[in-house]
Amino acid sequence: MKRRYLKLTALGVAASLGLCACGGTDSGDAAQNEAVDGIVRPTDEQGGTLTFAHSNEFDSMDPGNTYYAANWNFSRFYARRLVTYAQQPGEAGQELVPDLATDLGEVSDDGLTWTYTLKEGVKYQDGSPIVAEHIKYAIARSNFATDVINKGPTYFADLLDEDDYAGPYQDSDLDNFEAIETPDERTIVFHLKEPFGEFDYLATMPQTAPVPPDADTGTQYQTEVVSSGPYQFDGQWQPGSTLTLVRNEHYDPETDPLVRNLPDEIQLSFKQNADDIDNRLLSGDLLVGAAGVGVQTAARGRILRDDNLKARSDNPKTAFLFYFAINPNVAPFDNKACREAVLYGADKTQLQTAFGGPTAGDIATSLLPPVVPGYEEIDPYGTPNHEGDPDKTRAKLAECGHEDGFAANIAYRSDRPAGQKAAEALQASLSEYGITTDLKGYPSGTYTNEQAGSPEFVRQEELGIMIYGWGPDWNSGYGFLSQIVDGDAIKPAGNSNISELDNPEINKLLDEAAQSQDKQRREEIYARIDELAMDSATFLPFANRKVLLYRPEELTNVFVNPNYHMYDYVSLGVAQN
Amino acid sequence: MNAPLDAPESSASAAASPGPGREAASQGKSLGQIAWLRLKRDKVAMTGAVIVVMMCLVALFAPVIVKFLGHPPNEWHQEMIDPVLSTANEPWGGVSAEYLFGVEPVNGRDLFSRVVYGARVSMLIGFLATLVSVVIGTFFGIVAGYFGGWVDSLVSRAMDVFLAFPLLLFAMALVGVLPDAAFGLQGNALRIAILVFIIGFFNWPYIGRIIRGQTISLREREFVEAARSLGAGHLHILGKELLPNLVAPILVYSTLLIPTNILFESALSFLGVGVAPPTPTWGGMLSDAVRFYNAAPNFMLAPGIAIFVTVLAFNLFGDGLRDALDPRTH
Amino acid sequence: MITYILRRLVAGVGLLLVVSMVVFAIFFLVPRVAGADADTLAARYVGKSPSPEAVAAVKERLNLDDPIAVQYAEFVKGLVMGTDYDSGTDVIHCSAPCFGYSFNNNLEVWPQLVDRLPVTASLAAGAAVIWLGAGVSIGVLSALRRGTLIDRAAMVTALAGVSLPIFFTGLVSLALLSYQWQIFPPGGSYTPLLDNPLEWAYGLILPWLTLAFLYAAMYARMTRAGMLDTMGEDYIRTARAKGLPERTVVTKHGLRAALTPIITIFGLDLGLMLGGAVLTESTFSLPGLGKFAVDAIRANDLPVVLGVTMFTALFVVVANLLVDLLYVWVDPRVRAPS
Repeated sequence: MKRRYLKLTALGVAASLGLCACGGTDSGDAAQNEAVDGIVRPTDEQGGTLTFAHSNEFDSMDPGNTYYAANWNFSRFYARRLVTYAQQPGEAGQELVPDLATDLGEVSDDGLTWTYTLKEGVKYQDGSPIVAEHIKYAIARSNFATDVINKGPTYFADLLDEDDYAGPYQDSDLDNFEAIETPDERTIVFHLKEPFGEFDYLATMPQTAPVPPDADTGTQYQTEVVSSGPYQFDGQWQPGSTLTLVRNEHYDPETDPLVRNLPDEIQLSFKQNADDIDNRLLSGDLLVGAAGVGVQTAARGRILRDDNLKARSDNPKTAFLFYFAINPNVAPFDNKACREAVLYGADKTQLQTAFGGPTAGDIATSLLPPVVPGYEEIDPYGTPNHEGDPDKTRAKLAECGHEDGFAANIAYRSDRPAGQKAAEALQASLSEYGITTDLKGYPSGTYTNEQAGSPEFVRQEELGIMIYGWGPDWNSGYGFLSQIVDGDAIKPAGNSNISELDNPEINKLLDEAAQSQDKQRREEIYARIDELAMDSATFLPFANRKVLLYRPEELTNVFVNPNYHMYDYVSLGVAQN
Repeated sequence: MNAPLDAPESSASAAASPGPGREAASQGKSLGQIAWLRLKRDKVAMTGAVIVVMMCLVALFAPVIVKFLGHPPNEWHQEMIDPVLSTANEPWGGVSAEYLFGVEPVNGRDLFSRVVYGARVSMLIGFLATLVSVVIGTFFGIVAGYFGGWVDSLVSRAMDVFLAFPLLLFAMALVGVLPDAAFGLQGNALRIAILVFIIGFFNWPYIGRIIRGQTISLREREFVEAARSLGAGHLHILGKELLPNLVAPILVYSTLLIPTNILFESALSFLGVGVAPPTPTWGGMLSDAVRFYNAAPNFMLAPGIAIFVTVLAFNLFGDGLRDALDPRTH
Repeated sequence: MITYILRRLVAGVGLLLVVSMVVFAIFFLVPRVAGADADTLAARYVGKSPSPEAVAAVKERLNLDDPIAVQYAEFVKGLVMGTDYDSGTDVIHCSAPCFGYSFNNNLEVWPQLVDRLPVTASLAAGAAVIWLGAGVSIGVLSALRRGTLIDRAAMVTALAGVSLPIFFTGLVSLALLSYQWQIFPPGGSYTPLLDNPLEWAYGLILPWLTLAFLYAAMYARMTRAGMLDTMGEDYIRTARAKGLPERTVVTKHGLRAALTPIITIFGLDLGLMLGGAVLTESTFSLPGLGKFAVDAIRANDLPVVLGVTMFTALFVVVANLLVDLLYVWVDPRVRAPS
């Protein structure tokens, strides 16, 4: 089994390398979006320093304590997981391949037990062997010690059949953590409360990267992460300063399904000025913008006006959806017709422009993003050219008893310019129908926890319409939908289902999808949930986000990772003269 | 950085030498008449005054002006914008006879209308916040200067505390933690009230120090002594004897505090804690313009020049007023 | 003289205490009054979609349930004696002066402040040299040539200077000098002085000039007014009558008296600025204390905000002390025992 996967991957990479060599030219004259469907400047040449810069910081460099997609991508340099994604652009790159494990998870007949076996010969940076218990420990600290390590998601804590384990810092006896068993050094067994068909996706999360208990220093572990991958920290790093990764001599490429060891050294600097990052990318002084969110407005203008620069850019779709949630518990939106009036009245072309135009996002017509497997195009509240439908809007207003319009509030994040402009755009188009709205700005730091994500606050402040952005934690309908449409996921604070949708049929379908082992069936269910959720008229989706990435000419082996929607960091190389 | 008042104590003493009212009156002309005569001759100050009056009129009649010369300030004109680049189709940010200052990137709103409407918030907050500062500052300054002793120490230390604060940070933090509805107000009304209070409240020591200094030099003068010996109470002396003699410096420093407060308001808006959008403010427009500084310079220049002209006009007028009320200038 | 200094020292410490109380009240009390309870506050410091248990654990770790006075006492204790902090596996000692831990990145606040101080100090020091030199000399020149074309031109420029918001001059200069003509590096370019002094100065020229323009304008106006005042005083006339050379009269007598209030203001301005030139740093994206504080306010990272404010107040107090000492030197009246 192990060999089969390795071979397949190797073949896959070779195939795409071959394709690119024929399709592209060797001078580096790639066209726009070439790195979305193929690999630009494919090579296996090693050497050079790969430089990254971030306009801010990652939440933590600790693989168990991070929730930033860019860091899930970047940390693969030093934190191997049980499972990872195939090293391919496009759809092929959404396939899962075992990383530290020999195979994808083996599930029991009742769906409650998932078993992984570790490869032989995988080692840490100090040469000691990676054992199953360290993966168990890593999950224990990242999911069950939320008083200390609380930045990442807690899917394992939610799914594992564990009631009263207090986490490794309060209870040092790992045997008390019974939901994960490690019968021997190479076997790890997960016991779930209920079947969960997409468990392998959880195994791709950086939380499954092994952590030796002796080396764990809680929140401070981020400064001395023990590497299981091809690179290790140089030992000098303090948060805020530039992180240098050097080769890990105990890394064995033979055990790795990916080729992720091209550069000799990797540098990641933080807190750099965003416009400056762009300028340095364009001048070739810097190779990658680490945040993976694309260039700023100023550089976007420069790139799009200049054909040469444009040819070196990629504009991939992401799985990030931006929408307005319309809360049915706030008057007058308790009346469905009033919600529908908003859906028909919104001018989505205006929303798109406000959001940054076609390079910043495609117009969205339903919840599921087109890049998520199982997506089916639907547009239940479609209007001519997406510009809004005055007749239907007026009819719906009359139906809900507010012929001359009504007053409502629109909540937005005051420190996100694109979102703010979108809120203003909605306000402008609704005002044509007499729907007058007040804009309520809140800091993004507290938006999900205290304002839009607090049903009590939403009722109290009558936040009928709230802007929100959502991306899946893994690329499936479940990863995308579960937090925003599940009635059981509504929480008093930190709520992401801000439409407060609680439809028994959707809830039931979600449970069914979670437990199903049949990928095709699951995808059918996701499409059905999309329809049902749209039908509730509590969602006004308007943009499927796209990012404008720039690849300097020195960068080799470039392609867009279809799961993280930015360049596949670990594949990158530096051109050697 | 706070928006500092350009009124050091040294020039404070020059502003209105004690008791000009009495000296002037003895010559048969009131203080007001003399000052007015001087002011009329000061062309620079009068230019400032004219611009100030104009800006006030612009703020007051913004709807009318916009009706004839522009478009509603919150109306979108997407046809003016290149959807891919988010900036105006036409060169120079779309400046034309129809759009006098061009259009805003992204949404094509009329910049002229937004600048005109922006005057309303700036002027309103500038005036009201100054009123708050002047009331608090005069009260504490006069009390501290007149009573002296521990009252003076207490007030002076309090002023020291205020001056040791990074005011801008404070104002930012305070605006951020206050609720959305309070004191029977909500939305922008509350926001403006909070801004007025914060800006006014944090700036009172500047006025307070000046008034305190003036009061100290006044309280030993004959007319105060006379009132005291006639058995007048503290309240009478403060209100009837001292206050009228402080009108001149109060007037001068109010005039000079207004532009400072306008700058303060625009700084807060620039940092994103001003009045909620889509209400146009000059500082808020500038902060939006940062993202487009290369592609749409008109977006940055229009509100920036508006702030500059307004603040400059107030300063010109204030300087002139100070000179006119100062008996030592000729 | 020594009692004078001691008195000022005690007053300075008292001032710091009051400032810390007010800051603490604003950040910890006002949100409570505005309706946030300990749970909401705790929820700000855990990740996306936190479980109630995680919130409770954070609440306990940050002592958010304690009465506000106890929290304040803990804070002051940390400042003076340091405090201990549980990282999960270890107890970490945060030694005095401990401003606590940043809620967001789990780092001690103090070293972060110290890290950012050089940026702000570089900005403030360079700008101060320019504005003090330019402002005072222009002011003196203007006063001596009162009414001439030079005076008028200088004063018109100065008035324009105080009327321009710093974020506007900064933006315009960035747009023109850095982006359009590419003479100066873009915003956010900061090289530590010791790494490369030339790069350091080159990266800071625009922020220096922008900041100094405003302050030079203010100082020129102040100096001019002060000079005109003093040059009209009797003792200057006496000095002239004695036949002293005009140069001596101006520098030894006029300037000295006119400078006294300027030193006071300068101390205050520099102190405040060392605590972060918020607008300049924001406009030029300089990673100094001011930008640090603004980011912290946006992220609700209270220990950081508290730290920067206290830091600023400390600078102001120290600057005031230095100014008082300078007075002793400049103004003989203070020296005499009273």
